[in-house]
Amino acid sequence: MELVSLRNVTFGYGDVPCLQDASLEIHAGEFIAVTGPNGAAKSTLLKLALKLLRPWQGDVTLSMRNVSGGKLVIGYVPQQISAFNAGFPSTVWEFVQSGRFRQGAWLRRLNDVDREATEQALRQVGMWEFRKRKIGELSGGQKQKIILARAFAMEPDLLVLDEPTTGMDAESRQQFYRLLKDQVRLHGRTVMMVTHHLAEVEGDLDRLITLERKEEGGWKCCTTTSCSGHFVPAG
Amino acid sequence: MLHYDFMQRAFCAGGIIALLASALGVYLLLRRQALMADMLSHVSLAGVAGGAYFHWNPTLAGFAVAVLGAVAVEYVRRSYKTFSEISVAIIMVGGLSVSMIVMSLNKGINKSLSSYLFGSVVAVNGTELRLMIVAAAIGGLFLYLLRRPLYQMSFDEETARTNGLPVGWISLGFSVVTGMIVAAAMPIVGVLLVSALIVLPGSLAIRIAPSFTAAIFIAMIIGITGVFTGITASYSFSTPPGATISFVLLLILLGGLGLKKAWRAWGKRSSADRQVVPAAGSLQRVSLSED
Repeated sequence: MELVSLRNVTFGYGDVPCLQDASLEIHAGEFIAVTGPNGAAKSTLLKLALKLLRPWQGDVTLSMRNVSGGKLVIGYVPQQISAFNAGFPSTVWEFVQSGRFRQGAWLRRLNDVDREATEQALRQVGMWEFRKRKIGELSGGQKQKIILARAFAMEPDLLVLDEPTTGMDAESRQQFYRLLKDQVRLHGRTVMMVTHHLAEVEGDLDRLITLERKEEGGWKCCTTTSCSGHFVPAG
Repeated sequence: MLHYDFMQRAFCAGGIIALLASALGVYLLLRRQALMADMLSHVSLAGVAGGAYFHWNPTLAGFAVAVLGAVAVEYVRRSYKTFSEISVAIIMVGGLSVSMIVMSLNKGINKSLSSYLFGSVVAVNGTELRLMIVAAAIGGLFLYLLRRPLYQMSFDEETARTNGLPVGWISLGFSVVTGMIVAAAMPIVGVLLVSALIVLPGSLAIRIAPSFTAAIFIAMIIGITGVFTGITASYSFSTPPGATISFVLLLILLGGLGLKKAWRAWGKRSSADRQVVPAAGSLQRVSLSED
């Protein structure tokens, strides 16, 4: 089942396009990594796929339904630096639990299922002991972990992660990638992730998308994929 | 003091607005829109001036223009995503310049101008009190029912959007509610000091609260304490009510921040006292925690 589809998408900031004529399909259950140098439009590709950005040209389709016919739940983890509001007066528990505030669940009382999902997410990232701490008191790596825990607490069908291991030490990173593999293999989740740590996940990927810089005419979306891909090179 | 009708109205109006404005202030601060209340009160002044010029009820005209200004600021904010404070400057300049021009055309309004600029909670009339109750009911319901989406949006709008929240509509609704509460708060503290009632309680609450829910409740407690103390002090010392309320809130903020600093200093000192001092010349293994 196709969850996301980009067809001949062109997008840029200002007057210069950073992605040109890019096409991509993401199917349910896939584990996809996006890699490339800084400024190669990796985050932009993710945001376009989530419809957070509107393309100049081309079409983006984001499925409303998951494989079982329910509403598609998306867990998005943006790049930490741009997203984390350290002065926010919230406990770790409150923050991770906010992953349960899905559309249609604003008014209902949070129940044991929500609390269990929150607890499990916190334990998965090793932050259970910190649940009563204020989020502003955490270190960079710990902040990243609770952002991931919030996404896990959502129990998403599609996980979109933008450099999710920023600030984590090597052990936490390996633990996280193991967890991510479980999310795909055991829970059937779809994962699309920007990462610079390919060596730690490459063997488990269904697809690798590499964005490269085109030296002439601004930036262009290219791919050198080692996996079977639907990603069509531009040009 | 409470056997006077006007004082009963003052406490009633002040209490309602204090609770609501303080809770709203926490969200405004977290959304980095602290100046929005100030801006909307200036815009509202244009409505008051226009109402007086066209012989409409100035309070109702100010209320309507504040709500329209709130809608306008939401649209301008989307145009200047990175520099959202620019939208505040643009609308504030528009509101203030229009109100000055209209006032210059209508010399009669200058007599009551000071009551709009500085407010007077003891002079709250029936229309203003009813308007406050309506604004409080709508605003209170909005903030309560949408507290979860507002939490998510205040932290990060992008993630809230991917979570399926209608961020644009909720944001617009939030701006309208802000406009209503600002307009309702104006008779109490006036155009110039309305942001004190909205921003000061939240400023202290987000610094001392152990959690988000606590921040909302602490802000409300600070707000109502400041307003009731301010009205009482104003009655006792015959000082202007709006200015007295603002000054009391400022004192609470400074006192609270001072106490927090002293508490942290005391905590650091007592934990340093508990440290074991190693013998001179001995080797000490130091391990750095993740923090």
